[in-house]
Amino acid sequence: MKRREMLTLLGGALVSGALRAARAQTPQPSQTPAFDGLAARDPWLAGWKTFGRESVGPTSATLEGRWPGSLSGTLYRNGPGWFDRAGFRYQHWFDGDGLMQGWRIGGGGVTHTARMIGTYKFLQEQRSGKFELPAAGTLIENPRTIRNNDDVNTANTAVVRLGKRVFALWEGGSAIEIDPQSLQTRGPVTWREDLVAAPFSAHPLLERDGSAWNFGSLAFFRGSGLIIWRIEADGRLGKFQVLDTPEPGYVHAFAMTPRHLVFMLMPFNLSKVDGAFFQRMQFQPNKPCRVALVPKDELDAPRWFECDFATAYHFGDAFERGDEVIMRVVRHRDVEEARSPMASAMRGERGSNTLGTDLASLHLNLKSGAARWQAHGIEGVEFPTFDERTPGDQAARLFAPCNVGKADAPYFNGVASIDAEHGRVRQWRYGARILAEEHRFVPKPGSSRPGEGWLIGTLLDYEHGRSGVTLLDAEHVDDGPIATAWVPYTTPLGFHGWFAAS
Amino acid sequence: MKMQLMFPAMILTALATAAPLAQAGDLTVSITNVRADKGTLLVSVTNTEAGWNNQEKPVAATKVAATGKDAVVHFTLPAGSYAVQVMHDENDNGKMDTNFMGIPSEGYGFSNNPQVMRKAHFSEAKFDIGDAASSITITLR
Repeated sequence: MKRREMLTLLGGALVSGALRAARAQTPQPSQTPAFDGLAARDPWLAGWKTFGRESVGPTSATLEGRWPGSLSGTLYRNGPGWFDRAGFRYQHWFDGDGLMQGWRIGGGGVTHTARMIGTYKFLQEQRSGKFELPAAGTLIENPRTIRNNDDVNTANTAVVRLGKRVFALWEGGSAIEIDPQSLQTRGPVTWREDLVAAPFSAHPLLERDGSAWNFGSLAFFRGSGLIIWRIEADGRLGKFQVLDTPEPGYVHAFAMTPRHLVFMLMPFNLSKVDGAFFQRMQFQPNKPCRVALVPKDELDAPRWFECDFATAYHFGDAFERGDEVIMRVVRHRDVEEARSPMASAMRGERGSNTLGTDLASLHLNLKSGAARWQAHGIEGVEFPTFDERTPGDQAARLFAPCNVGKADAPYFNGVASIDAEHGRVRQWRYGARILAEEHRFVPKPGSSRPGEGWLIGTLLDYEHGRSGVTLLDAEHVDDGPIATAWVPYTTPLGFHGWFAAS
Repeated sequence: MKMQLMFPAMILTALATAAPLAQAGDLTVSITNVRADKGTLLVSVTNTEAGWNNQEKPVAATKVAATGKDAVVHFTLPAGSYAVQVMHDENDNGKMDTNFMGIPSEGYGFSNNPQVMRKAHFSEAKFDIGDAASSITITLR
């Protein structure tokens, strides 16, 4: 980390461009007051439509199939839920304010609750009726000045339960604690006084003892470097380490083996033009990605690798075999699409197609120090999950939303179970007019065999104007859902969820 | 490792030592967007670059308890150019709290409310007052 540089720049890249731009009075191409009209014409756009209420529910869902009596808990889901105010619409999907949802399963029923997360930003803008704080991917004209990065924290990316506490996560600021029952917002979490507002990213990984690893990228603050966090099972801060990185790199998530944390940093520059962070961000495909292999017991002693450039938000499992550490990566082929995923949908347009991705393995050779990509020929997947009980020297089966057959909307319409090592994929197609989201793996109670469990995922059935939660047997994905539950309204698509067994 | 966004020690010193000035006009400073109903608002006035940069004492300073979303303080100053900074010492520990990166966790603001993500420069916060009464509003961030 170039601390001196970062210190002088305070809140940095995430917001400074927007502040400069405010004076430039740049035209706002993102004003699309007609989005609701477009959504009426193309109902699949319900996935990117503003939620428009502070909360809904709890709503009893209509059940299909047979929900197992042994499954009891809450599927929390988080994602951007508020895109328009006063006739102004965000351009970037990542800008929307966080909407927390809870699908509560048990006692023979399923209920759904959704509630906008009460961040500082959301509350201020709800009061004023307009967007007035800087956003990550859209220029806001004449924004209010901010105290620090948590003033623009939308808490819109993911959700995790650590111990008995539930947190909404973003990547440029604090975790925001949420009441596990009511979904009401308790506020930002400070793990230690000197770490207030330090970035706590959206994809923590849990050890079997309930402790969690996470990171925070300092690249948002116009420096470089990573914070590494370890939160103990009781919610105490266990470890905190600042890792210097060779140059600024974008990193959204990471993977781990029993011994190592693995961070892949994608080189980028921030252009000099005025704009929000993701408007100024330019990936550098001519440069390699830097990969840090960090021993869990020596956080200050990373080993660095270089691999051919790729853009990736999400990683699957990682494992160690022989001299290699192997990490599964969902690569985005188009760097522009990676910079602003589903930008067409945000504009109310169909665009070219679903996210252009492929699944690959990144091999880090501990003996030679070389890194190489292995493509698996599996395309059009995202949001991978797996059974975390998989032994650390074995490849896990991955589960991911995918495209299967005809789809009337440019988004996932199925779910895949992927054995990448053997090139075997099992799929289930929900239909041409159903959008499929991330599916979480839930071990069956009493099971110990890796892979023995359910997949629980969420759906948006735009033909019938309903959102739902569905359950499949993870070992028989191609048999389709065991059970589904629907509510008679739609909610915007989210990014990530977390199943918390009760 | 602290970012020198504000100069709380200077403000506190000035509270005890700022001298009354001759030939005065009234300056009213309205402070808005006070986020926490606790602690103290520390307000200092400087009239030189050196004063703004902590190399000279402020020409005036005061403090007021934070008891609502807004506060008003008054100064009596001769005509001239000045810059005002406000710090909300929410926990009354006499300093601007920051995290390990130097990013503030307590409120602050500058005259002219410049849209910068750092301590404003004197030139950005500077304003003129004459002999007549005048007023400014500082919106805390």
